[in-house]
Amino acid sequence: MTSLDRRSFLKRMAMASAAAAASSLVPGVAFGEELDRYLGDLAGRSDVTWHRTPCRFCGVGCGLLVGIEDGRAVAVRGNPDSPVNRGLACVKGYHSVQALYGQDRLTRARVRRNGSLQEVPIDEALDLVAERLRGTMEEHGKDSVALYGSGQWTIPDGYVASKFFKGGLGTNNLEANARLCMASAVTGFMTTFGMDEPPGCYEDIDHADVFVLWGNNMSEMHPVLFSRMLDQRERRPGVRIIDLATRTTRTSYAADRSLIFAPQADLAIANAICHEIVRRGWADRDFVNRHVTFKRGRTDIGYGLEDDFSFTDSATDASWDDFVRFLDDYTPERAEEISGVPAADIRWLASMYGDPSRKVMSFWCMGLNQHTRGTWVNNLVYNIHLLTGKISTPGNSPFSLTGQPSACGTVREVGTLTNRLPYGTVTNAAHREKAAEIWNIPVENIDPEPTHHTVSMFRALDRGDLRFMWIQVTNPMVTMPHLNRYREGARRDGRFIVVSDVYPTPTTDVADVILPAAMWIEREGLFGNSERRTQHFPKLLDPPGDAMSDTWQLIEVARRMGLGDLFPWSEAEHIDRIWEEYIRFHDAPDHRMAPLSELRERPGIIWPYVDGRETLWRYNTETDPAADPERGRFDFYGNDDHRAWIWLRPYEPPPEWPDDEYPFWLNTGRVLEHWHSGSMTRRIPTLHRAVPRAYVEIHRQDAQEMGIVDGETVRLVSRRGSIELPTRIDHRAQPPRGQVFVPFFDETLLINDLTLDAYCPISAQPDYKKCAVRVERIG
Amino acid sequence: MAPRVPLFGRVLLIGGAALGMLLVLTLLIPTLRDLGDRPDFPPAAPMADPGPPIASEAGPFRSRPGELAVGPEVERRADAQPRSMEIYRSLRAYPGAPPRIPHGLTEEEFRKNLCNSCHVRGGFAPRFSAYTPVTPHPEYTDCLQCHVPDAMTVGVGIPQLSADVICSQCHVDPDSPPPSLVSIDWSPMEWPELDQRAMEGSPTWIPHTLQLRENCLACHGGPSAVDGIRTTHPERADCRSCHVPVEEAEVFTRPLDGGSP
Repeated sequence: MTSLDRRSFLKRMAMASAAAAASSLVPGVAFGEELDRYLGDLAGRSDVTWHRTPCRFCGVGCGLLVGIEDGRAVAVRGNPDSPVNRGLACVKGYHSVQALYGQDRLTRARVRRNGSLQEVPIDEALDLVAERLRGTMEEHGKDSVALYGSGQWTIPDGYVASKFFKGGLGTNNLEANARLCMASAVTGFMTTFGMDEPPGCYEDIDHADVFVLWGNNMSEMHPVLFSRMLDQRERRPGVRIIDLATRTTRTSYAADRSLIFAPQADLAIANAICHEIVRRGWADRDFVNRHVTFKRGRTDIGYGLEDDFSFTDSATDASWDDFVRFLDDYTPERAEEISGVPAADIRWLASMYGDPSRKVMSFWCMGLNQHTRGTWVNNLVYNIHLLTGKISTPGNSPFSLTGQPSACGTVREVGTLTNRLPYGTVTNAAHREKAAEIWNIPVENIDPEPTHHTVSMFRALDRGDLRFMWIQVTNPMVTMPHLNRYREGARRDGRFIVVSDVYPTPTTDVADVILPAAMWIEREGLFGNSERRTQHFPKLLDPPGDAMSDTWQLIEVARRMGLGDLFPWSEAEHIDRIWEEYIRFHDAPDHRMAPLSELRERPGIIWPYVDGRETLWRYNTETDPAADPERGRFDFYGNDDHRAWIWLRPYEPPPEWPDDEYPFWLNTGRVLEHWHSGSMTRRIPTLHRAVPRAYVEIHRQDAQEMGIVDGETVRLVSRRGSIELPTRIDHRAQPPRGQVFVPFFDETLLINDLTLDAYCPISAQPDYKKCAVRVERIG
Repeated sequence: MAPRVPLFGRVLLIGGAALGMLLVLTLLIPTLRDLGDRPDFPPAAPMADPGPPIASEAGPFRSRPGELAVGPEVERRADAQPRSMEIYRSLRAYPGAPPRIPHGLTEEEFRKNLCNSCHVRGGFAPRFSAYTPVTPHPEYTDCLQCHVPDAMTVGVGIPQLSADVICSQCHVDPDSPPPSLVSIDWSPMEWPELDQRAMEGSPTWIPHTLQLRENCLACHGGPSAVDGIRTTHPERADCRSCHVPVEEAEVFTRPLDGGSP
C-alpha cells in the first residue's frame, strides 16, 4: 500500500466510523447501537428488563446492561451510556452473568465436623464463627484473629470490615488480596504525590499521541481500554502504541513497536529515559522548578524473604544536580547491557516522551506492581512524566491500572489494609480521632500500630501467631506465592478458617466453616474502578438458598459479638446508611464522593465530586477544585510542600536469578478468558472451553534444544515446589529464550507452589513475575 | 491445537514467512513515516519486531486485508453476485478444506501463479461481477499447491460462480458422473452451526480452527464476506477479546471438598 493509499484509507476509515457513530464521535457507541438493533426483539420484549451495573470482573469497570427475565439474568449488553466502555465489553463481561449459575454454587452453610463438611443452618454457622472469634481472642489475644478480604469486596463490605475489626475488635489484622496486586501502585502514588490514585482518567486515551505500555498485556488484561486505544490509532494518524514487555503477547503484535527487556530491567530503562531527556535538554525545567522536589531513599533494601523482615524507608532531600549525577549511571548503553533493549531504541523511546509536541500516556499494572522494587519502578515512571511536565493535563497521563473491580473503591479508598483507615492511616492521630468520632467509639479502640501485611499474615498463620482467619471473596489457596508453605500453615491443628465464597475452591478445602455468599447483582453494592469512578449497582436477583452478602455476614457476626451498636441498620436501608456514614470520611474537596441518590441515576461518578462536578484531572488548578491557583498551573497538594517528588531510585537485581541448576525465569499471569483464580470464569462454559487448563509457554528454540515438542507434558521445578503440565509453543504468546510463562487460573495446576514470596519492602507486594525454575522432560 | 505444519511444508513455511514479513514490512513502512519518528532518533529495528510471528495472534492486527475488503461503509454494488454459504460450502470438500478454484484460469495465470494479485487486495472484479474473496494467508504464494482449478477450465478463463453452473461444468447430465470420475463413499464432517453463542446478544464463538485462517477479517470483513458471517464491526481489530474458540467440549466441575492437593 502506498503512503497515499494508506492516508486516504485512514481518512475513509475515520469518516466511516464517524458516520457510523451518527450523533457522536465517541468510539463504541456505534457498536452499542448495532447491538441494540441485533437485540431488537429481546430489547423490546416486555418480559426482559435491562438494568445498569458495573461488570463483576476487572478494574476497568465497564458499564453493563443485564437483561433479567423471570428473576433470572438472561443476557448482557455493553452500556452505551457508560463513559468507560461506550457500549463495548470483552468476552468475560459478555458472559459474566453465567457465573451466577454454576451447578456447584454454594447455597448452604457448612461446618467441618470429623473431617467432613456438613450442611448446617446459616444461623448456626454464624453463631459458630462468632463463638470461635471471641474464644480465640480470649485465649490468644486480640491480634490472633484476622480478616482477609478482597478488591472484589464492594465498598460497603470493606467499610463494615474496617469498622468491625479496627473500630470494634481493635485489631489491625485486616488485609485484602489487593495487597498482592496494587500495593506498589499505592506506595508509588503516596511517595510521589502524597495521595493515592491516578491524576488523570480514561478520557486521556482520547487525547494522547503515544501510549507506552510498561509490562502490560492490555489486549488480554484490559481489553476494552485497549480497544479504545486501537480505535484512537485508527481515527487519528500519528497515534502509536509501544509495547515494553518481558514477553511477546497479543499486545505486542497489535503495537507499533515491541521492545522486549530482561526481567527487572525496567528500573534501568526508566532511568535511562530520564538520562536521555536531561542530556538532550528535553526536560521541562520551568515545570520542574515550580512543581518538583528531588528525594533520595534508602538503597539495598532487601526482599522480605525472612519471617522477621522489616523495613522503613527514609527520604532525604536531593537537588537537580544530584539527580543529574545519579543519572550518569544510566546511559542508554548501560541500560542496554542490563535490559537487552538496544540503546538506539531507548533513545527513540526517550524521544517520544521528550518531544514537547506529543502527549504521552503510560499504562502499567502487574508488571510494575508485582515487583520486588515495585514502589521504585512506579516512582520512576512518574519521574519521566514529571521531568517532561506531562501530567495532569488531557492526554498526558501516567496511569496505573487495577485488576479488580473495587481495588480502588474498597481496598484503597476505604483502606482495608493493616495500616489504613478510611481516608487515612492508623499511625496518624488525627485520622484515628476522625474515625473514632464518625464511628462513635473511644479513640483508644483503634490500635495505632499496623500488624501484618498479607504475606506476613499467612506466615503468622503458619507459625501459629494467628489462630483464626476469615477469608471473604478471594481464593488465597490458589493465589498466594510460595503456596505450599501457606497451604500447610492453614491446615495445621489449632487454626480455624472461615471462608465466604460462591463456589467450592482450594480455599474452601481448608475451611472449617463455609458461608455461602450473595454474588454481585444478588445484592446492592458499589465498586470503585481505576479512574476514580464510583459505580452503584442495585440488587437485581435473589441470592440462592441461604446465600448472604459479605456485608451482612459481617454485621450478623458483629452483632453476635456484642457490637450491634456499630451497625444499627435494617437490612432494607443498610447500604444507604453505610454510604452516608462512609462519605463523611471523604468530605473535603480533594476526595468528596457523590451522594447515593446521584450514583443510582448515573453510570458512575469520578471523585473528587465537588459542586456537582467530576474532577477529571487532579492537581491541575484549572480542573481540580482542591488545587490552589496561587501555586501556578499545578498544585500537588498531597505533599506538604505542594510539589510532586522525583525519586533517585537505582537499579537493583531481583533476589533469585536463573543459574545452572534453575536456568529459566518463571513468569506467571493471566489469560483473557480467565479472571484470577478461575473460580468464576471456569464455571462459564464459553470461557472454560476456550482455555480449559493451564500450560507452560516456552520458546521454540529452548524446547528444541531439550527435545520437547508442543503439547508434551514437562515438569517445572523451583526451589519451592514442582508441577507437571503441558507445553504450549508459539500459541497465544511467546516468552523470550530463557523464560517460561504459566497462567495461574487453574486450581488443578497450582503454579504458585513454585513462585517466590519475596516482596517489595516498601509496599509488601510479592513478585509473581520472577523466580528461577528448571524444565525437566518426563520419562 | 496449534497450527501445525507438516514436515515437508516447513521449508515452504520459512520461505513463506520471510516473504510474509517482507510484505508486512512493505505495508508498514509508510505507516511509520506517517507517524513521524524524529529523524535524529531512529529506532534500531525498522518495525515492531516481536520475533517469529504467531500467525493466529498477529493476523487480525497485522496483515490487514486489502482496503476494499473492510469497513462497514463498503456497500455491495447492486450488480455484484452474492457469495452465499451454499456456494462457499460447495467449493470445500469438508469444513476447513482448501477451496477449489471455481473460475477459469488463463494459461498465464495458471503458469505464473498470479492469484495473489487479486486475492490479497480484494475488491470488485468486473470480470466476475463479484467481490474477490480475500486470502487469510497472503504469506503463502504457491497457491496451486492447495487450491486447484478444475482441469477443463484451465485456459478457458470464463468466470462461473453459481453452484449450478459449476456443477454443469462436469455434469452435463446432472444425474450421471463425468466419464473419468469414480464416485467415492464418503461424507464430510458436519459444517459448524452458524451463530453459536451462550446467550442472546453475546459474542459468537469461533466454531472452527484458526490454522491458515488466522486473519479473521479476510473472511469475515468486507463486501466479499459470505452472507451470514460478515462482521458488522471490522474496525475493532482485536477480534478475540470478544470471540473465543472452543478448545474442548467439557465444562468445569470439582468436588465440594478435597479437590486440591
